[in-house]
Amino acid sequence: MQSFISALHQEIDLYKNHSSETFTTIFLGGGTPSLLPAYEIKRILDHLEDTFRISRNAEVTIETNPGTVDAAKLQGYRDAGVNRLSIGVQSFHQDELEFLGRIHTADQARQCVRDARAAGFDNVSIDLIFSLPGQSQARWSETLESAIALEPQHISAYSLIVEDNTPLARMVRANLVSPNPLEAEADLYAYTMERMRRAGFEQYEVSNYALPGFRSQHNYNYWCHANYLGFGPSAHSFWKEGNEPGRRWWNVANLTNYIARLEKQTVPVASSELLEQKQMMAEKIFLGLRSDGVELERLERDFSTQFPRRQRELITYLVEQKNAILESNGRLRLTPKGYLVCDEICARLLPA
Amino acid sequence: MIRSYSITSFHGSFSFLKLTPQSRIFSHDFQRLCKSVPREIGRTFVLYSDFMKYIRNFCIIAHIDHGKSTIADCLLQQTGAITAREMKYKQVLDDMDLEQERGITIKLHAVQMHYKAKDGNEYTLNLIDTPGHVDFSYEVSRSLAACEGAILVVDASQGVEAQTISNLYFAIDAGLEIIPVINKIDLPSAMIDTVKHQIKDLIGCTDEEMILASAKANLGIDEILEAVVKRVSPPKGDPEAPLQAVIFDSVFDIYRGSIVYMRVFNGTLKEGEKVRFLHNGKDFEAEEVGILELKRKRTDQLSAGDVGYLIAGVKDVHDTKVGDTVTTVKNPAPKPWPGYKEVKPMVFSGVFPTNADDFEDLRTAIDKLRLNDSSLVYEPETSTALGFGFRCGYLGLLHMEIVQERLEREYNQSIINTVPNVEYRVTKVNGEVVLVDNPSFMPTLGEIEKVEEPFIKAQIIVPTEYVGNIMKLCMDRRGIYKNTTYLDPTRADLHYEMPLSEIIFDFYDKLKSTSRGYASFDYEILDFRESDLVKLDILLNAEPVDAFSTIVHRDKAHEWGKRLCSKLRKLIPRQMFEVAIQAAIGSKVVSRETISAMRKNVLAKCYGGDISRKRKLLEKQKEGKKRMKQVGSVEIPQEAFLAVLSMDDE
Repeated sequence: MQSFISALHQEIDLYKNHSSETFTTIFLGGGTPSLLPAYEIKRILDHLEDTFRISRNAEVTIETNPGTVDAAKLQGYRDAGVNRLSIGVQSFHQDELEFLGRIHTADQARQCVRDARAAGFDNVSIDLIFSLPGQSQARWSETLESAIALEPQHISAYSLIVEDNTPLARMVRANLVSPNPLEAEADLYAYTMERMRRAGFEQYEVSNYALPGFRSQHNYNYWCHANYLGFGPSAHSFWKEGNEPGRRWWNVANLTNYIARLEKQTVPVASSELLEQKQMMAEKIFLGLRSDGVELERLERDFSTQFPRRQRELITYLVEQKNAILESNGRLRLTPKGYLVCDEICARLLPA
Repeated sequence: MIRSYSITSFHGSFSFLKLTPQSRIFSHDFQRLCKSVPREIGRTFVLYSDFMKYIRNFCIIAHIDHGKSTIADCLLQQTGAITAREMKYKQVLDDMDLEQERGITIKLHAVQMHYKAKDGNEYTLNLIDTPGHVDFSYEVSRSLAACEGAILVVDASQGVEAQTISNLYFAIDAGLEIIPVINKIDLPSAMIDTVKHQIKDLIGCTDEEMILASAKANLGIDEILEAVVKRVSPPKGDPEAPLQAVIFDSVFDIYRGSIVYMRVFNGTLKEGEKVRFLHNGKDFEAEEVGILELKRKRTDQLSAGDVGYLIAGVKDVHDTKVGDTVTTVKNPAPKPWPGYKEVKPMVFSGVFPTNADDFEDLRTAIDKLRLNDSSLVYEPETSTALGFGFRCGYLGLLHMEIVQERLEREYNQSIINTVPNVEYRVTKVNGEVVLVDNPSFMPTLGEIEKVEEPFIKAQIIVPTEYVGNIMKLCMDRRGIYKNTTYLDPTRADLHYEMPLSEIIFDFYDKLKSTSRGYASFDYEILDFRESDLVKLDILLNAEPVDAFSTIVHRDKAHEWGKRLCSKLRKLIPRQMFEVAIQAAIGSKVVSRETISAMRKNVLAKCYGGDISRKRKLLEKQKEGKKRMKQVGSVEIPQEAFLAVLSMDDE
């Protein structure tokens, strides 16, 4: 653990003179950063403040897993400068938590949210997963209602993804579990979007819901091609300056390699890509459609191109069929009906 | 005995010397030489009229797989025209890749052999290969017409088949001497006596006239060669008359142009002479003439009785039509050799590039293909579903498949082929008669007085136990029963008249499957007959998809529409919107299916580390969509256009 932390600090140092740009958000996430004691978090945040220009009221989030934090630790995070908590609750059912390989209980999850509030966090997000194999709407609704009852400012609700090379994927392949049929998944997703709307949350992305004023600034930056630097194994960074093509790079995934590289004072970058105009435009389109919508005319202007006839017809049709709405400023935004088939729409609207 | 004439003195004494084609001479020239040209002493000549006695032009008639090519190969080896080493391909006469794969002959070729017969004379044998498929029956008739004899090969274990009979009748009509050969007699399943009976019933020959052979075991090959020499008559014709040479094939060479394969019936053609193709009156200069051994062999001249080739700088194969007569400009024949006809396409389909951007590539490819396929006709076509493409006309279904495969393999084109159809003759209410080879151009119901379609005379030979199945199949296909004869107690020969449109669509496969592969089938075009035909349209979300339109009999329209709709429902993937599939005649919907909308297609997470991967995933999906065709808002996968071709699968 200690060698990872020093490697992380070394990596931050490598970017010392990278930019004079002001950063508006910090996100400590991926894996379980809440395993770190508050003073380590403070050291990292201080190091970042020393190295980069960071705005005074920056959004500083840490991902925490119930069972790894107590009231004191959360208080420590708050004191270190963290002002937003994202709590990986996932479910309020014990069997589901076990299925997901989580170490915490439903009670610990509730306690975690209460502790966060006691520690003074007024921007708390709860992460949930739905469409577990065989999950009924009733069962999912119990989890969702429990989450809403805790009055968080933000909820992320993800439909279960069976990622390759995971224990779940192996179980699916061995026929030990069968993923929910798409129909059921669609029903649960549609139900979620509707329920969140009634609870007063704005859906501002496929899986993200926030009370007004509490959208995640950090995520929003990802989705509008803002510059970001990522530190740690597998971390991705994106940087674009002026008219240069945007560059994206990512670190080696293996922790040992990561540490070894930094011990030798070399960048732990695994690979990178330069984004051509067409790729930038593609990303703008699907990131936009997944979140806040796409300003069609502005996009055409920025990339000096035009959507071909087929795509224009599709856009009209999408609006007619209420998969999307076209706002008065020319922004095409998906409706819940559109979010359900978001990838299909994106693939059809990508530049040829 | 061979007589060649050698001038050894002014008085003209004769000696017997080896004959070469180059040393042939007209009798009047010979006499003139004998009298007046002392410097010709020592040269040998053969009179044309004598030389012709030692030529035999013949072909082989056989059903697919009955061993035509292996017999041909044996003859070539036996006469030394080919060595075992040269037998690079199993069947040298079929030199197109496609032919080799399918084991069928598409293009005709000829090959010359020299055979020293038991009578002590050396004979020139021209074997003219014939295509083995009904699509090419006109070419078959032309190559048969170039012969004086035919070897009828029948498989000892299979017996006589429909194809054999129809080609045999062509041969008998052309006055050819038939030499029956029963092949594969060494197979355990050989039924020699049964097959002998079948052949006797067919051509009324004696037992002695039939040759028992096995090309595999090299049995009976000598007998065949002897029979060709003894029983096939030598060519007739006058080498000094005006030239009449009939084209039985042509191939295209990018350097030399169209290379014409022909049989000379009268006259003599020398290199350098001006030649004329009688069907269009175009003149060319004979750059090179020669005979066809395994390769072309230049001989400077060809004369009556010869089979050979002509290269005349013809840049378009359409100038060198099969069946046309070649003559000389200087001394033209007053009329063509009888039998020429324009081959008309019988089957039509649309050919479109898979990717609309590739239209110009497809045009180039099809233009090139046309250069060595004089039967292919095409014109540009525009489809709302498939974009720009070509409406192609083919001799038949096999020809269509060959064209498609050649476009794909030889010219690397990725194409979509629409449902094939025949040509309809539509009489409109206003009396106007139009030919419709594309369902899209069918006049509307109200404009139509009557519709006529081509009918065929079908012959099906099948073991008696499957007669019931075959009769049911033919009835399903609107066949009109004519009569049944029996080749022997176990094999029936059924005759039907039926619409061509009913057989261009998987009839052959059905025939084979309902008879365990035993039925054989052949047909010829009869005439146009009035039928109650309607145009059936397929609509996707109320938009007609022209590429799915078909013309069907009214009684079958409902069933057809129902099956097409249900097939399409399975083939068209769910879309973002509900898709209504309708089959309609005019404005009347006869069948309907619905593809419910896609419920969910969205990945839950996309943060900083997921963006590249997500973009690549979507780009891949987008690439996949490029291969889809779009009608209105509906995306149709290519398989849907292809699978309509196999409607009877269920």
